[in-house]
Amino acid sequence: MAVGVEPSSSDLQIYRLPQPKYIDALRWLPHLSALDTHIALALHDSDADSSASSIEIHALKTLPNPPPLDLQSLQSSWTCPSRVSSLRVSQTPQKPLLAASTLDGSLHFLTTHPVNLSIQSEVSIAEKGFHVGPILGVDLLSSGGECVTGGEDGRVNLVSVGEARLSYRRLFDSEGLVSYTAVKWASTAEFATGGLGFSLQWWDQRKPGGSVSQFKGGWGRGGSSGIVHSIDIHPSRKHTCVAGGSSGTVFAWDLRWPEQPIVLSGIGTGERENTSPSESEVWEVQYDCFVRSSNISNVSSSRILPVMMCSEDGILAVVEEGEEPTEVLAEPCAINSFDINSQNPSTVICSLEWESVAVITRQ
Amino acid sequence: MHQAGIRNTNTHLSDIVDAPRVAYQRHDFTLPKTLALQNPNAGPRLRLRRLPGPVLAGALIPAAVPVSGTPPGRRTPASPSHGPGGTASASPSSQALHPPETTPVARSWRSASAPESSTTRSEGESPTAPSRPSRCSRARRIPWPRWPGWALGARWEHVMGFSNDISSLLGNPKHAPRSIVEDAKVVLKNVEEPTCLKAAWELIEVFYADKQSQAWLPERLVDWLASYDCLLSTTEGTVYSELVDLQKELATLQVIENYQKYWEGISSALAVGWLHIVVKLLRLHGSYQLDQLGNRETENGLVEAVAVLVSKMPRMRPELADGTLGECFKTKPEFMKAWERWRGQIAKLECSAFWIQCEHDQTREGLRKLLQIMLGNTNSIIDASFNWMELYGLEGMHNLAQKCMQLKPSSQSHELTSLMLGIIGENTEVVLAECSRSFGPWMVAHAIELLTIGSNGAETLLHEEQYNLGGISIEELYRLVYAQVLSSHALTWQASEIAPVYLMSCATQGMRLLEILLYKQPVQQNQILLKTLEICRLYDLDSISSDIMKIAGVHQWKHGRKGSGVFWLQKAQDEVRLNRISQQLFDYVGKSISGNSFKQWEGLIELLGQEAKTVGGLDFLHKYRDFKKSLQQIKDGKASDAARQAVESLILLMKNPSTPQKFWLPLLHDSLKLLRSQPPLLNVSQTNLLLNKLQELSVARSRPDYCEPNLPPEALSAVRLALAMNLGRAFLEE
Repeated sequence: MAVGVEPSSSDLQIYRLPQPKYIDALRWLPHLSALDTHIALALHDSDADSSASSIEIHALKTLPNPPPLDLQSLQSSWTCPSRVSSLRVSQTPQKPLLAASTLDGSLHFLTTHPVNLSIQSEVSIAEKGFHVGPILGVDLLSSGGECVTGGEDGRVNLVSVGEARLSYRRLFDSEGLVSYTAVKWASTAEFATGGLGFSLQWWDQRKPGGSVSQFKGGWGRGGSSGIVHSIDIHPSRKHTCVAGGSSGTVFAWDLRWPEQPIVLSGIGTGERENTSPSESEVWEVQYDCFVRSSNISNVSSSRILPVMMCSEDGILAVVEEGEEPTEVLAEPCAINSFDINSQNPSTVICSLEWESVAVITRQ
Repeated sequence: MHQAGIRNTNTHLSDIVDAPRVAYQRHDFTLPKTLALQNPNAGPRLRLRRLPGPVLAGALIPAAVPVSGTPPGRRTPASPSHGPGGTASASPSSQALHPPETTPVARSWRSASAPESSTTRSEGESPTAPSRPSRCSRARRIPWPRWPGWALGARWEHVMGFSNDISSLLGNPKHAPRSIVEDAKVVLKNVEEPTCLKAAWELIEVFYADKQSQAWLPERLVDWLASYDCLLSTTEGTVYSELVDLQKELATLQVIENYQKYWEGISSALAVGWLHIVVKLLRLHGSYQLDQLGNRETENGLVEAVAVLVSKMPRMRPELADGTLGECFKTKPEFMKAWERWRGQIAKLECSAFWIQCEHDQTREGLRKLLQIMLGNTNSIIDASFNWMELYGLEGMHNLAQKCMQLKPSSQSHELTSLMLGIIGENTEVVLAECSRSFGPWMVAHAIELLTIGSNGAETLLHEEQYNLGGISIEELYRLVYAQVLSSHALTWQASEIAPVYLMSCATQGMRLLEILLYKQPVQQNQILLKTLEICRLYDLDSISSDIMKIAGVHQWKHGRKGSGVFWLQKAQDEVRLNRISQQLFDYVGKSISGNSFKQWEGLIELLGQEAKTVGGLDFLHKYRDFKKSLQQIKDGKASDAARQAVESLILLMKNPSTPQKFWLPLLHDSLKLLRSQPPLLNVSQTNLLLNKLQELSVARSRPDYCEPNLPPEALSAVRLALAMNLGRAFLEE
């Protein structure tokens, strides 16, 4: 099924693996052995009438040189009742857990076998009162115990994942006055959400009744205001979250200086205009721990660490405060999502609009 | 841009570098029933807009085709050695399209961190580039307005490059080696069967696009036949099928030269010019075997002589591929000279006395027949070939086709033969109809590119705007048809945005159809909506983009996602609708804002922004929030400053014409504490203003459309009393 393409240069290997379906989301799965890596794909088949959406787990062969013809093989698959909007994986190799939210407002948890990573069981919340309409943001604590969801309906729910059952509680309901498009845990108690108008909210689940702090996306005003699509928070910098959104915008919000966003990329933002690698939607941002991972401790805590982003106009790039962006991949089609392998940050997978997965190995 | 001239207003598909590739992957779509061609007279004639950003000869790897190596022209982010923009491998014509200073630049992955990167970078970058990284890569897929000042030669080259790109996309390498096999008994290599589509494409290329091939058309046809004869065998007998049969039997035969079919096969292969197969078969002759060499010396000499003659056949063509036999001549005089010499040698052999000494009958007859074929004896050739296309191929003259067909009439017509008929008849319409019937809309839309280059007649026919097509040209019609096919599928429309690329290449109606299709896109899903808006952004369709935002805004609003609705309507700057929904919003606020639930409103109010001139009177909410905050602070005990602020906010709100009347009483009721405070916080004029408003309100209450706020019944009197008392105190103060 898959086709390996020869690496394009010595320090960057790119393999494009065509898929038969559209890829809505993709994640690395934590692995126990270094030999086999696994990825989870949320797929959607626009040709099929029923059972169009599924979550598949593929084994990704380690990438030798020359590449083998078949890089990827299906391990197991689960049919999802609705299209997946967001996919997260807990970073616990002993018991990997997948959380997938859907456009119908349901949330599904898949447990996988620790060795061959086949899907073992599934539990879900699909009741009406959970979310009405699409859940756009979901995040799983890295330990896997708790999950937070944010939806277009303006609800923020906390789901605790027990041994056999799920329970959830509503932390907040804006009754549609605000929509949440991205969420990310900062610690076991705190998390951040993003929404329309480049707004960000900081929450503490110990303090119900609303967000603790709010970033007013006022700087992106005047028609250029946009939507936050993705948030990331670095475990060592819990006071800062980076967000990516419309118009090629990537910015950081430091809770200690909540009024001043640090713009890493974006058009129409004054002197930075020239350094934006993208002009359209930034679909995903993640801290890139591969770049300069050696001297991370030397950097002052107020400096924003390098951030990888992917965009609608086909750019996968690393942006950094005060630096020229570094382009990793420039595709003729949109790059809709990507994931950096947390156990081996040199490898990145990304999903391309033209129904394929790209595997990138940096050296 | 350009004024309407046939050439200038047309964008050619060969300029859209990636689109045909992606489109091909989905070319098997059936035509959607729902998408009929819109009335072509419906819209104003829109001109192509030139879009910013370089077009780069990027190539896409087709999903179904195994590819080794980086595709030519693909931008390789980490290959600074590739020269400007990493396009070193792109064809010269495509580089001509992209002036170097606008070419996106390949960047070294480590350029940001490695100290030596400055040198690596400057190699890869053009002088103007360092401060400006690539614009959006998406721009690469935008069609480029056409070559007004191009030399014809460059155009030929460009179209040929396009044709080659398509050919390589369609499947296995051109003229796959067929019989360079180690196993001596295998004459035909079992390669993957080529597709009819590719065969048809190459046939059109041979006749229309490849300027060089005009001079050596017969040879090109021989090559074509070598690659695709197997396709014809599905409906009728061919040389290929004969050879396949022969090969099966070769494995079992002992003395092959006794076998009639062996000689027939050789004759056929020779007749269609597959020299290497002939030589290979001849060398299987029994006389080559060591134990027989002694007593069959003469016979073997004859076989070898024929084999040598076959392999020395002069051929008029620019070059010979490896593994093919014959001597290649580039110009006609040279070729004619060699041809005469070669025929002389054959004639000499024919008359030689060795034939009498050859004791093996079949060998003698077979070889002599081969010589006859080489001398051009028509009867022998007719015997050896199977259908008229094969015959035509070796006769190699345009007007002979009819004669050839009479000689070898075929019962069923193969799609390729019908196409060939159209080509030979020089009837462009028939060719198009055949393409459309047999190979689908993809083929037609792309083949037109080749048809127009060579002939002025075809170009006029295809580019002329036709009244009965509603003022569009045939070329555009077929492109529109294909674009509709693409639009019918999510992958080629919403996902890859390939359909818009095709539509934009249709000068007259493309833009209009694109607009219509954009309006039909779903707005329910955020991601799809944003992708649609991205298409609008790329093609500068601002008004459509704002219309789509309005549609999305109303949709979100109706489905209870008020924040989202306001966001989109604000982006669309739709004051009318914002005003309308603001009334509904105030109703909602009137019911829900009380005490703590105001937290819910925070986000929406932030969304509305700080500026006073937010559309739709929604800035009221902002002030109301400030007022509520101040009141909250008074409750918390931070009295003095907060109270003054609260009074200011209250007066501002009451003065502001955008504050809805129904909020007057709740506002005043909320501020009872302020009104009752001692010493008074409001001065005489402020109190008078509020009393006036209260009076207005009592008048309004008598109107039927007045709706009573959700307050205790004594609210009005309480407010009135508090105001009156405050007025008294304020008088005393002053």
